[in-house]
Amino acid sequence: MTHALPEQAPAAPERARVWPEYAFPAGLLALGVFTLVDAATIAVPVSTNTVGPRVFPYAVGALLVLAAVLVGLGVRRGERAEIEDGEDVDTTAATDWPTVAKVAAAFIALVVLVEPAGFPIAATVLFGAVAWSLGARPLLRPVLVGALIAVTLHVLFTQVLGVFLPAGPLEGVPGFG
Amino acid sequence: MGDIGLLMDGFANALQPIYLVYALIGVTLGTAVGVLPGIGPAMTVALLLPLTLTLEPTAAFIMFAGIYYGGMYGGSTTSILLNTPGESASIVTALEGNRMAKAGRGAAALATAAVGSFVAGTIATMLLTLVAPTVARLAVQLSPADFVALMVVAFLTVAAMLGTSPSRGLASLGLGLFLGLVGTDSLTAQQRFTFGIPALADGIEVVVVAVGVFAVGETLFVAARLRRGPVPVIPVSGSWMTREDFRRSWPAWLRGTAIGFPVGTIPAGGADVSTFLSYSAERKLSKRKSEFGKGAIEGVAGPEAANNAAAAGVLVPLLTLGIPTSATAAVILAAFNSYGIRPGPLLFENEPELIWALIASLYIGNVMLLVLNLPLVGLWVRLLQIPRPYLYAGILTFAALGSYAVGASTTDLVLLGLLGLLGWAMRVFGYPIAPAVIGLILGPIAEEQFRRAMQISQGDPTALVTSPFAAITYSVLIGLFALSWWLRRRQSRLAAEVLGDDDVVPATEALPAGEVVDREGSGEPQPTGVLPVALLDPPAGTTPDDERGDRR
Repeated sequence: MTHALPEQAPAAPERARVWPEYAFPAGLLALGVFTLVDAATIAVPVSTNTVGPRVFPYAVGALLVLAAVLVGLGVRRGERAEIEDGEDVDTTAATDWPTVAKVAAAFIALVVLVEPAGFPIAATVLFGAVAWSLGARPLLRPVLVGALIAVTLHVLFTQVLGVFLPAGPLEGVPGFG
Repeated sequence: MGDIGLLMDGFANALQPIYLVYALIGVTLGTAVGVLPGIGPAMTVALLLPLTLTLEPTAAFIMFAGIYYGGMYGGSTTSILLNTPGESASIVTALEGNRMAKAGRGAAALATAAVGSFVAGTIATMLLTLVAPTVARLAVQLSPADFVALMVVAFLTVAAMLGTSPSRGLASLGLGLFLGLVGTDSLTAQQRFTFGIPALADGIEVVVVAVGVFAVGETLFVAARLRRGPVPVIPVSGSWMTREDFRRSWPAWLRGTAIGFPVGTIPAGGADVSTFLSYSAERKLSKRKSEFGKGAIEGVAGPEAANNAAAAGVLVPLLTLGIPTSATAAVILAAFNSYGIRPGPLLFENEPELIWALIASLYIGNVMLLVLNLPLVGLWVRLLQIPRPYLYAGILTFAALGSYAVGASTTDLVLLGLLGLLGWAMRVFGYPIAPAVIGLILGPIAEEQFRRAMQISQGDPTALVTSPFAAITYSVLIGLFALSWWLRRRQSRLAAEVLGDDDVVPATEALPAGEVVDREGSGEPQPTGVLPVALLDPPAGTTPDDERGDRR
């Protein structure tokens, strides 16, 4: 960034924040190179007369590399990420890692639970845990709301819309499938 | 003219009770997600993609179109009553609308937004009715090489226009194109980028990618920096539109429509650009320039009309060429694909019943939306107050449901989580999401057209540019870039000007003291690289105008 920083801004945090800016283009570059290398291993059937299954992947790989280089150069010139806005987002706050970890744990619990325990139970756990992590108190309230939503969704999707969802131990209970 | 007859048939079809029910569900859901922060129409349609497995196409598209139109209406309520616009299309509405609400004229602002949306939506739908069949008839003659040209245009403009920097847009597009490559090549049945995982052989489901980057990414993003405390909603007060309000609004509605529809049809970033253009036109033409920035009703009426007209405009290239120019349009295209229906010039010939019922439902949906948004606005205000922990827990639950339902596999849930991390990173590092979604969905179609074109030319790549249409298209592309560069400069200059004025007005007085953090700054993306974490609460005036000027 070429313009003057706000006076009270110390230089250190600015420098500390530069390296993550390069992390994303570095990842893009790696993906682009991988795409180019891996595209060469795609089998091309003999029947292919003109353009086979490799050409488009090569183009995509090249685009990724190009974009990575352009973004990287931009960062070097001083371009900085503009964090996305949102109604509920405090863009000036630092990342709240404990909350993110709790939300991620709740999501992993869902992945583990959904088939053995069924959608209604797994979704209740997910909803309750996420709402609680984001500050809903006492714990019982988000769990009850979650149970209500999970059961409603399950019945709506399996019975009315005909979409399959695992019922888990509720298998055989009328309305749950 | 046969089209009128077909439209009448479409109405006869769309007015069947079952389709009216789907239209009502669509517009209600659409308004709800438009009002609610954190979710938008693109994500909602993506979440409902599993329904394409069981629902018949006409019902599904009537509902999806309702969601799309409804989202445009709902967004205005949020930006008028909650001064933290999330969707860039409603930032401009927030400028004047929010001032009006704080000055006790919230009801008038909501009314001019809703009626303006209705007027613009209806006129633009009429334009769509007139223009689309003609475009389709002309487009029948296009060759695969011509389609490749059109898709190149769509890719590049979308990458360049959506988001803050063209290089980051290009990066996002590349990510989407890569995700679209994963799976089995449709022409030669070769596996590509499947990493030997059998579940990837069928490709990554669009639902999983769209929901992952939108819903899960957004939830993680919000979880990491949630604005704590109660939601400051400004109560709706004042009378509905007075005669004077109406007199000032209607020319703005018409001008907004005239700006919005054409901007929507070209891939120029869709609704955002049209709202900024409309706002600047209103400001320039107004005899009361001093009122702008303090609650000028034209500043709500024009952009809201432009916003809705642009939504109808986006449907023209989607339906007639199969080219989406917004994220929602891309997801609707994915829905067409899952029915095996190919939007494009032949759509009007092959699926006349579906398409005309869909167009008729747009008129019907607009009437429903007017009713939903004027007398029932109180309901939506209530929705705005949903405590955020519950809102985001609900979004994540829906995301998991939609992704699991599409393939009944936990692998999709794992992918959903990983793509959610990607979506979060993209938000934090300022990469726009929409180009990725468009690349994912349009990429495979573009590849197919490209290979067909090359087969026809027997491997001669010059055929891609030598057809007259393709040659003209590439020339126009160059022209378009010059134009969009100009529009962008205007937009950022306006944003600087407009938000600059904004900073002068103390806006926080109507809100509970001590709770508000950086309300003004949230109207404009902050250069976070230079905002030290310690600088938690900059007073309204500390963001200098020049900071905005040189950033783009």
